[in-house]
Amino acid sequence: MASGRDQDVEETVAAISDGQGTLLDVVKALGEYLTSEEDALRTKGVEFMSAVLSGCPPERFNRQSVKVLVSFLCGQLEDPETVVPALKGLLSLTYLPTFTSGDAVDVFDAILAHVKMKSLVQSQRFIVTIALKGISKRFVPGYISLVNGEKDPRNLVLCFGIDRVLLLEFDVKDHIEDFFNITFCYFPITFRPPPDDPYGITTDDLKNALRKTADTPGLVKDVCHECLDLLKEPEKSQAKPAVKTLCAFLSTTGPVSTYTLAKAVPLLTALFHNPDEASNRTPTLTLLTELVKAARDSAPESESEVKLAQFKDDLLGIMTVGLKNESSCTTALEGLKALVTTKGLMSNDELGYTVHNVNEIIPLEWANTEEIIDSTLDLLSTVSTRSPMHVEGTTLPLLFSTLPDRAPPREAASERAKCWQTLAFLSKLCKQPSLFETLVVRLTTKLDLICGSTAHSQEDIEPSAAYAHSILLTLRNVLKDKVDLGHLDVAKYLDRLATGLHMVASEPRLLKTAGEIITLVVQVIPTPKQQSFLDSLIKAYLHGNAKILALGSLKIPDDQVFQPLEPSAPSLQKNMIVLFSAAIIALHKDVALPVADTSQFLQQLYVWSVHHSETLLQREAAWYSIASVTNKRCDDAAQFLTACQEQIWPSDIAVADRPVVRRRLSISAWTWVTKALATRGHPSAEGFVDRLFEVFDDTDINWDAARALGGIVAADDILTKYNHAVIRILFAQRYCNRLLPQIVEGAKGAANGRQQVAYLVALTSLIKTVPKTTYVSEMPTLIPLLLRGLQLRDPDIRANVISTLHSATDTDPNGSSIIAEHIGTLVSAMLENSKIEEMPSVRVRVAALKYLGLLPKSVRYDKLHPYKSTVLKELSNILDDPKRAVRKEAVDARSNWFTCSG
Amino acid sequence: MEAYNPNPTVYKSAKTIRKSGAKEGSLWLVEDEENIEDSDEVEPLDQDEIFDLIRSITDPEHKHMTLEDLMVVSAPQIRVGSNLVDVEFTPTVPHCGMSTLIGLSIRVRLLRSLPQRFKVDIHVKPGSHQSEHAINKQLNDKERVAAALENPALLSAVEDCLASAGLRGERLE
Repeated sequence: MASGRDQDVEETVAAISDGQGTLLDVVKALGEYLTSEEDALRTKGVEFMSAVLSGCPPERFNRQSVKVLVSFLCGQLEDPETVVPALKGLLSLTYLPTFTSGDAVDVFDAILAHVKMKSLVQSQRFIVTIALKGISKRFVPGYISLVNGEKDPRNLVLCFGIDRVLLLEFDVKDHIEDFFNITFCYFPITFRPPPDDPYGITTDDLKNALRKTADTPGLVKDVCHECLDLLKEPEKSQAKPAVKTLCAFLSTTGPVSTYTLAKAVPLLTALFHNPDEASNRTPTLTLLTELVKAARDSAPESESEVKLAQFKDDLLGIMTVGLKNESSCTTALEGLKALVTTKGLMSNDELGYTVHNVNEIIPLEWANTEEIIDSTLDLLSTVSTRSPMHVEGTTLPLLFSTLPDRAPPREAASERAKCWQTLAFLSKLCKQPSLFETLVVRLTTKLDLICGSTAHSQEDIEPSAAYAHSILLTLRNVLKDKVDLGHLDVAKYLDRLATGLHMVASEPRLLKTAGEIITLVVQVIPTPKQQSFLDSLIKAYLHGNAKILALGSLKIPDDQVFQPLEPSAPSLQKNMIVLFSAAIIALHKDVALPVADTSQFLQQLYVWSVHHSETLLQREAAWYSIASVTNKRCDDAAQFLTACQEQIWPSDIAVADRPVVRRRLSISAWTWVTKALATRGHPSAEGFVDRLFEVFDDTDINWDAARALGGIVAADDILTKYNHAVIRILFAQRYCNRLLPQIVEGAKGAANGRQQVAYLVALTSLIKTVPKTTYVSEMPTLIPLLLRGLQLRDPDIRANVISTLHSATDTDPNGSSIIAEHIGTLVSAMLENSKIEEMPSVRVRVAALKYLGLLPKSVRYDKLHPYKSTVLKELSNILDDPKRAVRKEAVDARSNWFTCSG
Repeated sequence: MEAYNPNPTVYKSAKTIRKSGAKEGSLWLVEDEENIEDSDEVEPLDQDEIFDLIRSITDPEHKHMTLEDLMVVSAPQIRVGSNLVDVEFTPTVPHCGMSTLIGLSIRVRLLRSLPQRFKVDIHVKPGSHQSEHAINKQLNDKERVAAALENPALLSAVEDCLASAGLRGERLE
């Protein structure tokens, strides 16, 4: 019977549950086992008994049987061979409703009397500790003597939990000193888990358990003093856990929290002012900041009293002193932010005082580090969300006054850097509507001055253009942030920004940025306003009525008309199409173009883009407008679409005797039209796409056509939700699902090499834009093709292939069997692409090394092993690459290969 | 294991080493860094790059802190010549028994990360350790280093310290 097999136990339990047998029968049957002279038999007997007990349903125990079992099992505690099974049995009994407090006392006495804790191994002590959990008053002193001196972290985690329950639930008044001894003898915790600790108890587990224990009222005083002692050495590593413990007190009860603050804050304040501790001011500030944050976060919503009120002046004083010192500046800024964000703490005047002090450090040389600047901006913008007047009244004038009216000359690099920094400050601070208004007014005025000052001079105008550009970028960045934040005041800057910015037509970078600003503003204005704005734009651009545009320094001479779309228009006028288009692309779909025939207008833009425009910027602007109008108002564009199919394709693209440059431009225009149709899921999109395959055999343009297949679904900034484009959900997936099989087929077996390469180019261009799920099942077919793509000369294609492989490779060593199959080819291809002698492009080298570094995480070691020594050896040469970014990836890849092993 | 310094001084970590986005001498404020791409400019190895390699090595005695946190290593303590790298480190206490392991970890990291043409010298800051001479000798003796790395327990201790080295100043937690 007592074979110890689980099955026997189960059968016995079943019999008892069914009422076929009783516990008494079990005891009787076990008889000689329980009393045997042989140690092993006794252990088995009691073990079986305990196992049955833990399995039996509670209703099968009556009061009497529990009593008998308790006294029997307590008796077994005397016997070292049966301690553990007996405790297990008792443990099951303690859960029973019929287990009375009297029994608890008996059990406890028996444990105290018979269990020799120190002679037991950890697992046994563990059972003892568990068995003790949850008994009564006589328990406390006994418990204390039991656990005193425990060292094993596994038990300590449990003990700390029990300590906490006892302190909270039991009357421990007389034992508080003892409790302190058994808990805080472990403080501070310096435990370090052994390597490969199978129990996974971390230092933090212990610290957290202990901190929770400390969090009980009885202990607070003692713990508090212990922690305060540690705070006296703020620079040491134990100060941080000590302050964390104190912070934990702050979120307990009111009196505890007040007591803690009253002890800790003055201590640290004194430390800060102590001249002997001057070198420790920074860590002291860090600790104070922690306390302030904890006090701030622990205040319940309803609480009217502000915990830190009585320390406010001291804290503010210390923080402003810390602010003026380079090493403590960041911490002080953080501390000030914590004070500012404490509800109900700082008065308006004190906010002003804070801002005033921060203003003083802004111009200082040492405060010109990224870290300090970030924290300064963080604090100032926090203050200005509470009350913008201080920043507006003092900080902004200070910043604007450092921005010169004329650009710093070419050689004045440091002056220029100063301007950029000021602008960076402004762009972070001026999102608030009232501050933004000041910003727009001041910066556009500045732009007027800069552009005006150079209009007629023969001097070097590049510095002025660059300065104007940096100002425009600032405006663009703030607008972008505001649009993302949903600020409504953006719309009111239509006149000032969208028409006012037409003065910057000479420089492509200025144009581009000004265009972005126009798009951002037009995006957010409502449809009727867009319509009237568009009316005046069309009047200006198509009918020469340019008065509405503030052309500033570009005043059209009296003998010249404003006709940017005319073939003979001067370059500056042609540039203006960039700004025109920037407005067109942001229109709602309900806004109709006020032209006689939309299709004809699109045709005109197309012809202009291919034949009359002079720069890529101009051409792209035209294509963006064509795409945006086609996408949003495709019914108006129907004739234009027909013209594309019937005239543009056959006579501008498919004819070999046209200049190649023009044919390429036409393909770009074609791509944008197709993109507009595909994005809205228009039925004619497929016809436009399929045409591209027709020129795959034409080596002049087949790579362009192939790349266009990817370009059609590549992400862009034009046909976006923000620009109110009509977007069909999952259109890109549909597109890929349709084309991918066809392209794969072509790449594998097209009629000739030229076509195969074109298909390969199409594949690499398409696949990088689509989500992995679309093609992951095709990987076995795709990998050989992608590897062929890696041999094409074009660095862009190689970068695409590597990034596709990267996203298709799981970081699961047991997953990618398909990658493992090609591991040899992949490794050597990546090594080739990592070498500067083979691959001049930094981007490709970096990508190849990244991928190489990924392999040890994705492929089982036995597959990697044959290549390990080669990879390490080859990579050691790449460590000498002239580019830092490449070296970094080589180091990371090499260290991944170093540490991988079977 | 004996604690050599259970409560060491923690220093504020240096900022991430990041060159400002705007290129010096440029007139234009450039926001993205794509322009780095095709320049032929050679970027020689410098002390910041070496520091980046070793700053996040875990301190063997304080597993949650890096050599940078404890200011065991710092950028100014590194010198780079055309084929020579010299790294000085500062043990937290003069009796720190972990100093050799720290030095060995630095050596292994640099051995794996630097081109072979570099000779690497590693030594403790003069006056910062009671067995300064012995440690320096051990760390710069090729054979003794090789012998130490033959010892699997020691190698695994080194690997433990190096596991975090790739963080390069990012936080451990």
